[in-house]
Amino acid sequence: MSEPKKRSPWFSLSRVWTMAAATVTQLVRMRILVFLVVLSVIVVAAGFLFPVFSAEQQLKMLKYVSFGALQFFSLVLAIVATALLLPKDMEDRTLYTILSKPVPRVEYLLGKFLGVMLLIGGGLLIMDLLLCGVLYFRQTMVMAQELAFLQQGNAMPEELAAEAGRIQAQGLGWNLQIGVLAVFLKAAVVTALALMISCFASSTLFTVITTFCVCIIGQGQELIREFFFHRTFDEAGEKIASGLFAVLVPDLRLFDVVDQVVVGEGVVAGAAWFMVGAGVLYVVGYLVVAHLLFVEKEL
Amino acid sequence: MTPESTSVDAVSVKGLTKVFKSGLTKRPFVAVRDLSLTVKPGEVYGLIGPNGSGKSTTMKVILGLLAPTQGETRIFGRDSKEVVSRSEVGFLPENPYFYKHLTGLETLHFYGRLCGLSGKALSERAVEMLKLTDLEDAASRRVGGYSKGMLQRLGLAQALIHEPRMVVLDEPTAGVDPAGSRKIRDLILGFRERGLTVLVTSHLLEQMQEVCDRVGIMAHGRMVKEGRLEDLIAVENQTEIVLENADPALLARIQDLVTASGGGAKLVHTGRPRTTLERLFLESTVEAGKEGL
Repeated sequence: MSEPKKRSPWFSLSRVWTMAAATVTQLVRMRILVFLVVLSVIVVAAGFLFPVFSAEQQLKMLKYVSFGALQFFSLVLAIVATALLLPKDMEDRTLYTILSKPVPRVEYLLGKFLGVMLLIGGGLLIMDLLLCGVLYFRQTMVMAQELAFLQQGNAMPEELAAEAGRIQAQGLGWNLQIGVLAVFLKAAVVTALALMISCFASSTLFTVITTFCVCIIGQGQELIREFFFHRTFDEAGEKIASGLFAVLVPDLRLFDVVDQVVVGEGVVAGAAWFMVGAGVLYVVGYLVVAHLLFVEKEL
Repeated sequence: MTPESTSVDAVSVKGLTKVFKSGLTKRPFVAVRDLSLTVKPGEVYGLIGPNGSGKSTTMKVILGLLAPTQGETRIFGRDSKEVVSRSEVGFLPENPYFYKHLTGLETLHFYGRLCGLSGKALSERAVEMLKLTDLEDAASRRVGGYSKGMLQRLGLAQALIHEPRMVVLDEPTAGVDPAGSRKIRDLILGFRERGLTVLVTSHLLEQMQEVCDRVGIMAHGRMVKEGRLEDLIAVENQTEIVLENADPALLARIQDLVTASGGGAKLVHTGRPRTTLERLFLESTVEAGKEGL
């Protein structure tokens, strides 16, 4: 009989990676990527759906529809795929065979989270590349058409340059990637939230509904603060209540830079870094609470 | 195995009590009460008892899947709460399921990697385990298409992938046909020959009798009887003689001899020993298979 080498360090990135890879394989083989293909077709089609609009409008609509598809893909996957993982492992007793190996519970949770994030990240990357390709193609096409049209009307070189600048502002640029990063961060926060909820939930359905509700509240946090806290508390009280509320429910409006990106406005570096910092804090916070809940869970 | 490791009990349970807290309106449920047991290295220990007697809960506490309310459990001297204690144990839960989108071989690679195996050693070990459990032909098939017996054998393969010193088997033959059940029994006997410690629960008492060195009988969360199987099932004041090709005259002489001997000895029963229904089933089905029926 062969003598395999055994290693059982207290924390192992290799075990986390093994869990993550199995999660990705499981989700991919559940044909979740069909969903990605459908949304990708929408991105490509969006590039050719609005021929009657002006050049700028055509590019804006392409970005608008594409970012809608990106957000839809990432959020649905973040909620549904995450909600499926833990309760299903418990129902099928797969969790017993995994945790009866030398696998700390924190590694199991991190592996599941990383697996979902890899799938969402991979999907977003594919759709981002597709969006960039289609956008560049449409930008070049409409620019050529517009400039040819203006030249026929004997437009001045300044007018041609101004039109080219307007089209370029709506075309391919780095702010588009900040938009995709914001979509990814928002999905990461929602994934960590869904994982935390699934640690005390009794079913997949409960996790899906609860996460969905928390996301809606998180999206409207600014309104809730304005209508409830502003009228009920004084300035200090409002700050404390808002802070507590933002800790319990993620302020998802922080990640909504997509509107700026769609209209071609640049996202300032400070806002982008704040968004990254808030995203990381939310993810770490939810994962810590998820671990505290899961480590006490009776299997 | 080092001399030190052989001197430590494979499993030690001392004063274990497990209470499940339920909702606010319900009373807490005591699943195991003040249970103590030890399993020696290399021993096959059977934990038997009716449904709800606390066997599975005890196993889960031993494996660190549940925390004890009171008392302590140790595996080869290490507290079950320590994750590292599980490096020496393989566990087969009752009616196991695996990630159905993985193949049999991928499943073993997955569990092997979780145990720290990698590269050629893992590949060789996985193939070896598939061979041991007769799953070589199904290695590239997805687990979703496996029968119950195959899942059970895959469960055994994953439990053994990291060459543990002990295996914990919860109802290993539940829902498996007699041939599959016999195969699992043979594997357990093989483990004993190789010096592996086995802690097993089963409802099939006849099978437990065939494989166990010691048994513990649980009821209502308590250990009601424990000891060596031979001691527990022997009828102290009776002796069994099995004869082959004995004619009626010889039997009559034996009966006369017993009567004449006095001293309270009496012949309790004569008759033909019976085969078991399981053995009859296996012999008939194997014969039918040979005849191509």
